[in-house]
Formats: sequence, C-alpha cells, structure tokens
Amino acid sequence: MLRSVRRAIDRARISDPRYAFLFGEAPPDEVVAVDCETTGLNLRKDEIITIAAIRIRGDRILTSERFEALAKTNRKSAPEAIKVHRILDHDLQHGRPMREIMPELLHFVGSRPIVGYYTDFDVGMIDRYLLRLLRIHLPNKRIDVSSMYYKCKYRDAPDHLLIDLSFDSILKDLSIPAITQHDASNDALMTAMIYLQLRDMLKRGVRIPRMRAGAIADLGIGA
Amino acid sequence: MQSLDTLSPPFDRLTHDEAEILKQRIDIAYFRPGAVIVHQGQASDFLHVIIKGAVEARHGAALHDVLGAGDIFDARAVVHNEAGEDFVAAEETLCFLLPRSNILDLVHRNDGFAAFFYAELSRKLDALPTQRDLRGIDSVLGTRIRDARHSEAVFIRGCATLEAAAHAMLEADTDAVFVDDGERTGVVTGLKLTRACMIRRLPAETPVREIAQFEVVSINADQLLVDALLIMTRSNKRRIAVTEDGRYVGLLRDLDILGLFAGNSQLIPGRIARATSVADLSGAAHDIQEQVERLCRQGVRVEAINNITADLNSRLHGKLFEIVAPPAIREAGCLFLMGSEGRGEQSVRTDQDNGLLLARPVPEADLATFQADFTLALESFGFPPCPGNIMVRNPLWSQPIDKFLAQLRTWVHAADSEAAMNLSIFADAVAVAGDTHVLAGAKASLIEMVRGETRLLAEIAKLIDLFSTDDLGVLGTVFATIGFRRKDIDLKRDGTFPIIHGVRVLSLEHDTLAGSTRQRAEALVARGALDAHFAGEILSALTIFMNLRLSAQIDARHRGRTDATSAVNVGAMPTVERDMLRDALRIVRRFRELIHVRYSLTGP
Repeated sequence: MLRSVRRAIDRARISDPRYAFLFGEAPPDEVVAVDCETTGLNLRKDEIITIAAIRIRGDRILTSERFEALAKTNRKSAPEAIKVHRILDHDLQHGRPMREIMPELLHFVGSRPIVGYYTDFDVGMIDRYLLRLLRIHLPNKRIDVSSMYYKCKYRDAPDHLLIDLSFDSILKDLSIPAITQHDASNDALMTAMIYLQLRDMLKRGVRIPRMRAGAIADLGIGA
Repeated sequence: MQSLDTLSPPFDRLTHDEAEILKQRIDIAYFRPGAVIVHQGQASDFLHVIIKGAVEARHGAALHDVLGAGDIFDARAVVHNEAGEDFVAAEETLCFLLPRSNILDLVHRNDGFAAFFYAELSRKLDALPTQRDLRGIDSVLGTRIRDARHSEAVFIRGCATLEAAAHAMLEADTDAVFVDDGERTGVVTGLKLTRACMIRRLPAETPVREIAQFEVVSINADQLLVDALLIMTRSNKRRIAVTEDGRYVGLLRDLDILGLFAGNSQLIPGRIARATSVADLSGAAHDIQEQVERLCRQGVRVEAINNITADLNSRLHGKLFEIVAPPAIREAGCLFLMGSEGRGEQSVRTDQDNGLLLARPVPEADLATFQADFTLALESFGFPPCPGNIMVRNPLWSQPIDKFLAQLRTWVHAADSEAAMNLSIFADAVAVAGDTHVLAGAKASLIEMVRGETRLLAEIAKLIDLFSTDDLGVLGTVFATIGFRRKDIDLKRDGTFPIIHGVRVLSLEHDTLAGSTRQRAEALVARGALDAHFAGEILSALTIFMNLRLSAQIDARHRGRTDATSAVNVGAMPTVERDMLRDALRIVRRFRELIHVRYSLTGP
C-alpha cells in the first residue's frame, strides 16, 4: 500500500483526536533520530526493550533534550539479542508498560521526520503498539541512513560490486568514532551523526570513494 | 549515553556532580569543511571539544595549528570574549558544544578547572600539571627542607674541649655539631675531630674553636631540596647548615638527600677536582649526563637542571683546560663557552661552542696542540663538534685579544648577516677558565661598539626569522584540506630560538647580556626595556619549550638515536599540554612582532 494512501486513511480513523498533531506540519529543519533495542528481530512476536529518540535541529544534535525509556516486556530476549544490547531480563524490572511510554514518545517525536538505520524495522516495532493505542501507523516521513549511504557510495556501482551497508562500515567510512556499547541512546546518537554528515555530503555532491584493497596508495592523486 | 570524556583534563578537575550536570547540557554540532566555527576576536557561545574531524586555527591566511579529536577550542572566546584565531573546519567535523554559561559557572566555582582558562600562560603553567607531574615524580626534590629528614642542631661552646665535642656528637648520634663562639658560629665535624687528634696530635683538651670551620654554608628551611642540591654542587660541600628565622636549626647532609632519591650531582665536583688526566675527567663527564636524565625523571624543573648542569659543565671545561693547556696558554689564555652553554641553558649535550682569547701571543706549536687536544677530549666526553665550527680549533675563535677586537670591529662595520651571526654567538660568551678579565674586556668593547649601530642591530634582530616557517601559508591550506596534519612542531625553530635571540638582541642593545635568557629578560625589565608582564609570559613559554625539548632529547637518547631532533609530535601530546604549547607559540609570535617593530624590520 502506498504510504500516502495509508496516511490519509489513518488520518481519518485515528481513535484519539488529541494525537492529530502527528499529521501536522513538522517544525522546519527538524528531524528525530530513533532507535529501539528489542527482544529479537521478529516484527510480529518480538517486543521493544528500550527506545531512544534525539532531536536534530539544523546541524545540531540536541543531546541535551533526548528521550529515553526502558519498557516492561512479556517475552524473553533471544540470546543473540542479549549479546547485542546486554540487557538481561532481570534488568527489566524497572521497565514501564509501553502504553505509558508511547504517549511520551509521540509527543517528543511529533510530526518530525524519523531518521534511523533501517528505519522500517524500528517504525514497524513502534507501529505494533501504535495500532493498539490509536489504530494508526506512525505517519512520519522516514529517512534511512543506510540508503543515504548507498547513494553516497554505491550509486552507479558496477553490478558485480559487493555492497556493504553495515553500520560499522558506515561509521568507518565517515570516520565517526564507534561507541562499542550498543544501547538505544548510543545507536540513535551515532545514527544522528551519520545523518548530518551524509546529508551534507549528498548536498555537496561528495562521494565516498570505493576502494579496492591495496588501492589506498592511489588516493590523493587521482581519487 | 556516550558523552564527553570527563576523565581527561581539564574535565577531570570537575567533581562527579559537576561533570554530570555539564554532560546533561551538551549538544553536538556538525560542521562542513570550510565552515568558520569561531571567528577571531569574537566571543563564542560554546566551548568546542572535537569528536572527529579537523579544525584549523588560522590568522588571516596563516595556518597556526590543526586540531583533532579531543582538542578543545577556544577558551579565550568563551571566557575572555575574544578568540585568538579563526577556527575553521578542515573536514567533516563533529564537536561537543559545552554551553558558555555552564563553563563560566564552573570556572567560578572550581579553581582547578578555572586554571585551564587563565589568560596568562605563566599562571597556567603554575596551576596545571605537565605530563611529567602526572606521573607523580615531582615530589622528592620539590620537598621543603623543613619537611625532609635532617639532623637537629647540636651546639657546644667554642671553649669546650675536643673531647667534649666528641661526647656531644656521640650522645646526639650525629657527625657534626655547631660551635657557639660568642659573636660567631661555626661547625666542627667528626672527620675534623679525628684529623685533629690522630693526625695533628692535638691534645684532647684543645678548645674546639681551634679547629672549627666558621664559614658556614647554609640554606633556609623554607627552600626546596633541589636548591640544597644546587648549593652543595656549587660550594662543593657535602653538608650544609639549615637556618630558620636566622637561627641554625640543623644540618642537611648529601646522604639525607641521597636517601630520598638516587642522585649524586654534589659528588661530581669532587670527582672533577680530583681528576689529573683526561681519562679521569671522562668519568665525571659521563656522570653529568646521567645526572641530567635522573633529575629529569624525578621531575626537577628544567631551569634547575640547566643550572646544575651548567655549573658542572663549566667546572669540567675549566679542569680540562688546566690539564690540557700548555703552561704558556694557561697563563695567557681565557677559555670561554658560547651559545646555550654560555647562557647556562644546555642540559643534554648538543654541540661544543667554545673559544680562547689570549692576553698575549703564545708559541704557535703550543696553540696548535692545545686546539687539537681540547676539542678531541671534549668530543670523547660526548660533546659533538660544532657544525658551525665555533670551537677553539677554529683560528677565528682562538686568537690574541687585540686581533680579536679588530675582528669584532670588522664585523660591526660589515653589519651583514654573517657578522650578525658571529656577534650573536659571541654575545653569549662566558669565561670558564684562565684570566677571565680578558673576556670581560672583550665583551665590554662589544657593547661599546654596538651602541647606536642601528643598522647592525637590525641585521642581528633579523636573525629572529632565520628559521621562521611560522606560516604554512597557501601551501598549508592545501595540505590541511587533503588531510595532511601539521603534527610536528620544531621546538627549537618555532620556540626556543626566537625567544632566546629576541632577548639576546635586546640585551646587546641595553647591556644586559650577563647570564641566562631569564636573567637577561629580568634585567631588561629592570631597565624598563621590556614590559614585566610580557617578559613573564615569554619566560613561561620558554620554560614550556625547554621542558618539552629536554624530554624529547632524553627520549631520543633512550632509543639510541644520536640525531636527536627538536621536533615534537603534537598529536601524541595530552590536550592540556597541547593547549599550553599553542599559547606559547602565540606568545612567540607576539614577541617576534615586537622585535620587528622595535628594529623596524619588514615582513615576517
């Protein structure tokens, strides 16, 4: 379904008019970087453990006014997921129910475009709760840094080229220091940094050089 | 969330709560290449800490520095409302933004943190630890004498017998007592007592005043152990009296200091004095070099190290002169040191700069032998030959006084760059052996000849730009934008030389050549030829350069490199040191400008 059509439908069937602001005008030049840690990667069964959002205004990442919440889950984290987020089940006793967190998150995000790394997954997660709460999908515009990165590096790439859109490769290419501890806040922050740099590079038409191993020596004369 | 690293200076000065509050207020900004982040002369709403990228500090077209991750800018723009330079992103850059109101608040409530923001380099230098202090070894020699272990003062009357003195020592478990002889006070040691009784066979009833030493070398209890070491070295004493409020309160022995650390500079003068051959001296020369390293490791201030080393080196040269010089030269000659050795500012040996003036002509053969032997011996001690050949073996620098005076006059009249160079070198000359009046006369003549010679002074002043690569200019811009980092700063070229030379030329003009650059600058201030506050800043900058240089030289020696360069890798330096280095370089630039204006030089 086309997103604009779904947006129009959602706008009509929203169950609580107090949230109509989600469909309003976003403040100019503002976006929100969002990241979730989840119990696993299954959009239908898994649940959000932590969620973080950081506003970006112009070229500034407003870390001083960020949003962060720890949720209470019913489902146990998959062992692989624990390895990533390092939140053990017993850490979640202090979590709050998502029905409490969601309104705060929605007010924080407002109608600003959402920036993420594979944004569809994070928004998909949020949508599960939002459908229950307001019977709608998150209507915000989505900006995925992995596709920005693709444009900046692999657009017009020859077919046989191996395409690597991993988070670590992006950080490395942009020489943004990786924060080894993965949590929603850190990931949202790194995503925000990536976004600002890629947005500027795309605006200026700067390409990320694709380098074959051993080709580094060429850099500086031809590249 | 990952945030500012509050464990590194100056943020490590904040309390946990202060750091947490600050962290809550921090935002992050992205700057595209070419963006001017802070404008020179303007205030800034944020203190910036670089997360990634590169930021150039520029003054007009001139590139002063390239900052990288972890660097902070610009304290002046935040606290003093006036940025020292333009700060321009050289590549895609991310910075933490620390709001100005929070920084000012912390500056007011936290003195340790505030030190980082002092406008004066001299205050910063006092307040902030250098890398070496952080390693925690400054303590020993920085101890006050009153806090160090020393024996209590025991007094006996001058009329007491030798026997009574011996008992007094035994009871007090000490090997020296003060002798109170009415008007005067002296010291008698166990060794003196033994000699008196066993060698001179004096009766045990002899009054102790007969053998007491009444010229007592003393030090105030408020002074530091390093000062005591200096006094012991200079006076060739292994025991000095400690005074407090004008009274003798104890005796400090070299062993008391040795107990605290493994140094032995006070033993070296004895070793030099006892030497009867070049081979004997060679051991002492080696000790001096070891001593420099040890003192440096113990965190002794670089100026104190220079003082001790200069004193020992001048003894070494004097003794070598005594041993090597044929009688004719010993009687007629005056040996002198020039350059950093002359100013007492050389600690790690870089080269020999020495000369010989003769009150009257001596046999050619004697002179030739001496020139060869002296230079060779020094070389064997580890003083590399001077690349500019400013050594006694160069006939130019070892001649009879009247010929040398004629030479000086020729230089003064020529007033070209070579003459300027030679006169600058000679301006640092200090006599170490022989008839010191010969050199004193020559230097007095030099001052006389230079007086009013504005063209010559300008020519000499011009040398301040000899190595100047202060501005990378257009080339620098290109380098910085393609990722070249100017990480190396040449401490000698960019730091010590311009300061030393600027002070030297002012001193030539104002007859304040005696001593080190510090003493010269202080004398210039006393004559009203240099602003006191600025002089303090210049000397602090010099201290920073000399400290870094000494560490680098010792480091190079440890790596077995003899080609010790004076370049430092700025990138490897802790943030606070790098920040101070930047301040120091800024002071050098101001000083250079002052010299330019003073001597009407054109262009940098």
